[in-house]
Amino acid sequence: MNAATLFGLCGAALVGIGLYGLITNPEPLRKILAFNLLGGGVFLLFGVIARRAAVAGLGGDPVPQAMVITAIVVAFAATAMAIALVQRLGDETGRASISSDSSGTGDGEEKS
Amino acid sequence: MPAATALEATTADGALLVLAIILPVIGILLSFVLGGRYAERIAGILLPAGLGVACIVFLKAWHSEKSLSYIVGNWQPPLGITLCADGLSVAMMVAMAIVICLIGVFAHANFGSRAVSVETRAPMVFWVMLMAISGAMNMIFISGDLFTLYVALELLTFAAVPLVCLDGRAETLQAALRYLLFALLGSILYLIGTALLYGSYGTLDIVLMSQRVHLEPATLAAATLMTVGLFAKTALFPLHLWLPPAHAGAPAAASAVLSAVVVKGSFFLIVRLWFDVMPGLLSVAGAQLVGALGASAIICGNVVALRQRRLKLLIAYSTVAQIGYLFLIFPLAADPLHLQYGDALTGGMLQAISHATAKAAMFMAAGLVYASLGHDEISELGGIARALPMTMFAFGLGGVCLIGLPPTGGFLAKWLLLEATVATAQWWWAIVIIAGGLLTSAYVFIVLSRAMGAPSEPLTLHAAVPKYQEVAALGLALLSVLLGLVALGPIDVLQVGRPEAPMAWLR
Amino acid sequence: MIEAYPLLAFALLFPLGMLLACLWPMALLRMPSYLAFAPIPAFAAVLFVSDDSPLVVGPARLHLTFALDLPGALLLGVAALLWITAGAYASPYLQGRPNRGRFAVCWLTALTGCIGVFLAADMVSFYLFLAMLTLGACGLIIQHETAEAWRAGAIYIGLGLLAETLLLIAFVLLAMDIPGNGLLIGDAAAALPTSPHRDLIISLLIAGFGMKAGLVPFHVWMPRAYAAAPAPAAAVLSGAAVKASILGMIRFLPLDTALPHAGTVLAAAGLFAALYGVVIGMTQRRPKVVLAYSSVSQMGFIVAVIGMGMIAGDGRTALAAIFYSANHVLVKGALFLSVGVIAATGRRYLLPILLPVAIIAVGLGGLPLTGGALAKIVVDGPLGDGAANTVATLSAVGTTLLMLQFVRGLVTTVSTDQEATAAPSLFWPWLSTAAVSLIVPWALFLAVPEGMLPNPLAPELLWKALFPVLLGAILAAVLWRWVRRLPHIPEGDIVVVLDRCAKIAPAWGKTIEQAEGMLRQWHVAGISLLALTLALGATLLAQ
Repeated sequence: MNAATLFGLCGAALVGIGLYGLITNPEPLRKILAFNLLGGGVFLLFGVIARRAAVAGLGGDPVPQAMVITAIVVAFAATAMAIALVQRLGDETGRASISSDSSGTGDGEEKS
Repeated sequence: MPAATALEATTADGALLVLAIILPVIGILLSFVLGGRYAERIAGILLPAGLGVACIVFLKAWHSEKSLSYIVGNWQPPLGITLCADGLSVAMMVAMAIVICLIGVFAHANFGSRAVSVETRAPMVFWVMLMAISGAMNMIFISGDLFTLYVALELLTFAAVPLVCLDGRAETLQAALRYLLFALLGSILYLIGTALLYGSYGTLDIVLMSQRVHLEPATLAAATLMTVGLFAKTALFPLHLWLPPAHAGAPAAASAVLSAVVVKGSFFLIVRLWFDVMPGLLSVAGAQLVGALGASAIICGNVVALRQRRLKLLIAYSTVAQIGYLFLIFPLAADPLHLQYGDALTGGMLQAISHATAKAAMFMAAGLVYASLGHDEISELGGIARALPMTMFAFGLGGVCLIGLPPTGGFLAKWLLLEATVATAQWWWAIVIIAGGLLTSAYVFIVLSRAMGAPSEPLTLHAAVPKYQEVAALGLALLSVLLGLVALGPIDVLQVGRPEAPMAWLR
Repeated sequence: MIEAYPLLAFALLFPLGMLLACLWPMALLRMPSYLAFAPIPAFAAVLFVSDDSPLVVGPARLHLTFALDLPGALLLGVAALLWITAGAYASPYLQGRPNRGRFAVCWLTALTGCIGVFLAADMVSFYLFLAMLTLGACGLIIQHETAEAWRAGAIYIGLGLLAETLLLIAFVLLAMDIPGNGLLIGDAAAALPTSPHRDLIISLLIAGFGMKAGLVPFHVWMPRAYAAAPAPAAAVLSGAAVKASILGMIRFLPLDTALPHAGTVLAAAGLFAALYGVVIGMTQRRPKVVLAYSSVSQMGFIVAVIGMGMIAGDGRTALAAIFYSANHVLVKGALFLSVGVIAATGRRYLLPILLPVAIIAVGLGGLPLTGGALAKIVVDGPLGDGAANTVATLSAVGTTLLMLQFVRGLVTTVSTDQEATAAPSLFWPWLSTAAVSLIVPWALFLAVPEGMLPNPLAPELLWKALFPVLLGAILAAVLWRWVRRLPHIPEGDIVVVLDRCAKIAPAWGKTIEQAEGMLRQWHVAGISLLALTLALGATLLAQ
């Protein structure tokens, strides 16, 4: 198993954990964290591709690296925005949940 | 494909494309520098200017019958980034610019800076986000590179989410959060797809990719992930959980932008993906699956819309249904066994544009009704047609367009789609199209009959509605009606820059 | 002769311009008084345009074409006359009533639609104006805004749009068969007999136009709509508007080619409606509802004539059916207008008005020397000597009976004020419609070259026409003398069944709504996202 495969598997595992968390976790804050895990997995994938596609003499393909930096910035902005929303929601209602109505049984009622 | 390689150079006037993107960006930066109280004035100059640029680009593409393109910094792909405006892009650019400008006119009453010298947050956010949406949409329409498209898509989402919760009430915040999180899930899937494609082909440029792309598992996996991610962002049934609360809860002007403009961005990307990046790779079964999702959106969205008690929720569910029509073009146009390629695609794009105008008009009308009644319960609408005749007329015209009666754009779109169902012998989609139209007419009739009925108690209007807001709504509605007349003129522009036949047939 | 283009264009643009003028509030306020002028250019076009050179609007790729062919011209002429007199009748009728402006707008919309349909020579414009006609008519039906009117409007627009969607599919199928890019109705009808989808298209056309023509069981909208609409609106709807379906059948169905199967279906459906309308109509009390059922019957009869023409493959049937329709346009219009006039007349002045009404009404059953008798002579040939002719005679007997029933019902609606007389502005438009309905059929009949049709004054023809009328009159006398009570059938008879079905629909809707609510839960949506990814991936990889 070479480094690329190892990192690829790590990325896949992160994506899996992130997806699981994003779908099942009732708390918005945890969803945001899960999204970041998911994002981390995808960034690893970019790293793997940069490494795999590297031509001789270069440490890695610069294009995926450039893209991953952009993607990280985007993910950071998204996280910041989501946190701001959660915080504002908490201020307004005293709790933060994204279940739209009482019928959403799976979504939690805890405070963030 | 020799035509494609010829595209890889900046054409004359290609710089206009850059202008279309940077004008809104300049506006946003200026708003931050000068302060939010100038935001409306800045938008008031730059949005019409954007419309002007879009019109010029449209006319150039129409007359020259060629795509416009621009290579940023003269760096050739695969390393550089291209901007390319083909027929689909220019048509959508103009349509969206017009809708955004009219929404801007409408929004002046709610988010106008007036004479107040103090900076208030909601107007500033609204105008800045409106400009951001305009820029992001233009970027989506003319980017020639999958990663730039990702960035544009994210910009669009980040600009749309704050619009949902402009009033800061708890339920709109919740709707915004739901929207954001689900959209992020979608965009991350898209990003994985981009990574896989780059890993396979070493480029993300659309033209280069379309030359290199071939059937192999990684490509198909990437395509699947990207498509489903975009479904989530377009709110295609059954992934529409975020749309009704978000669109129904936002202020009227914002709802209009979200429903009319924003969902079309991700839809446009799906079209780019399957018709330009990997033409012919969509299997028959896959196309049928996408069509089935669209069909269930039409039926389910319309039925649920019929059962809504609040006007804005009804319109939001009608958006869910109308999005379904857009996805019928995949089985109708992407079927590699048949040659009917152009008509269904044209019909789908026309549906997107006519829905944009009609739905914006309907949301505006609903907003005016809400403003003057203080509620939007459908059963309590009695007498509003007499109080706000022009508004309800606009609503009715929008409804007629959604039903698809001639001469509206909706009619022309449905005619083209129906023609494609006949040409490709897929009559089951025709049944869905027809049933959707009938269900639509049912709820439009219910709303109009309530509005024209007598009020249960004497009507007390909470606020006077400015005339120009009514005119803006009516203008959009008339536009959607007259859109059917494009058949007499520039409808062929949609075919500009499209290859004669999809690549798959040449293999 | 005069150039066709400007007249045709003016016929359409004039009412359209009046409609657009309604956007201006001042014009809207006055518009109800000027409704009678809107159809005049159309009438002028009928009088002065002799050739059927088309008016083409728009560029080559997709254009609208209008032309005045003979069937269209005949129908348009009489329809324009009815629109003129009914428009004159509407203006005093509306005095002091609410929603005058809306009435004018809907009236002009329906009028423009009606003229457009009669002039349309290509499918897109036919469909466009048919939709306009439906929308305008729906607005006229709901004019009074009673619960009954709303229900009638809902049923009308629902069935109307359903019919139009069926037609739309038929048109799309037809468009594929026309060689080249054209959409002309004539080309479509010519291409139909050899089309691969021939049977499907013909079924769709029959179903679509049948709904519009009120064939049983799609007649449910007719009694409700005509009873709910104001008298002038009911006159133009039952007279002029509904004939769009007849014209549609004549233009689209290939009558020159014998199509026995489709023809038999059409003829049977028409003859059934012809009898059914009479039978159910007998049980009704309100005059307008009785007239509506008579329309069901008459429209069925016209459809049956077209059906017989299809069986024989005889192209001349078209003109016979049009002649019969033209007579019905004027007679039904005059009768609906008389409902309003009688209601405003006291017992003392009743007879001078009731007499012409009775003559016109019984004329529908074929009273000799009236337009009805001429119409029966004209369609006698296409109907042949078989079972269809027997049914036609039966229907004539029934129609006489029904019309006498109508006159009898009308008497009960007279004004309570003994001395009351109808306002002149109501009376004169009615009288001119009545006069026109007696004169125009003769004028048209005499325009037919001699020798083509038998002499209507020949004694055996007079007797042939008189005998069903006499039979009907005797039956009516028997009925009124001895039968105390007829069973009462609700207006729109089988619509009751429809209502029952409508009660089940909400349950379905609720189920869908609940399912949709479940799909909107976060984790369900997340799982559907994953499932969708797997499903799409599987379908893509399977190729």
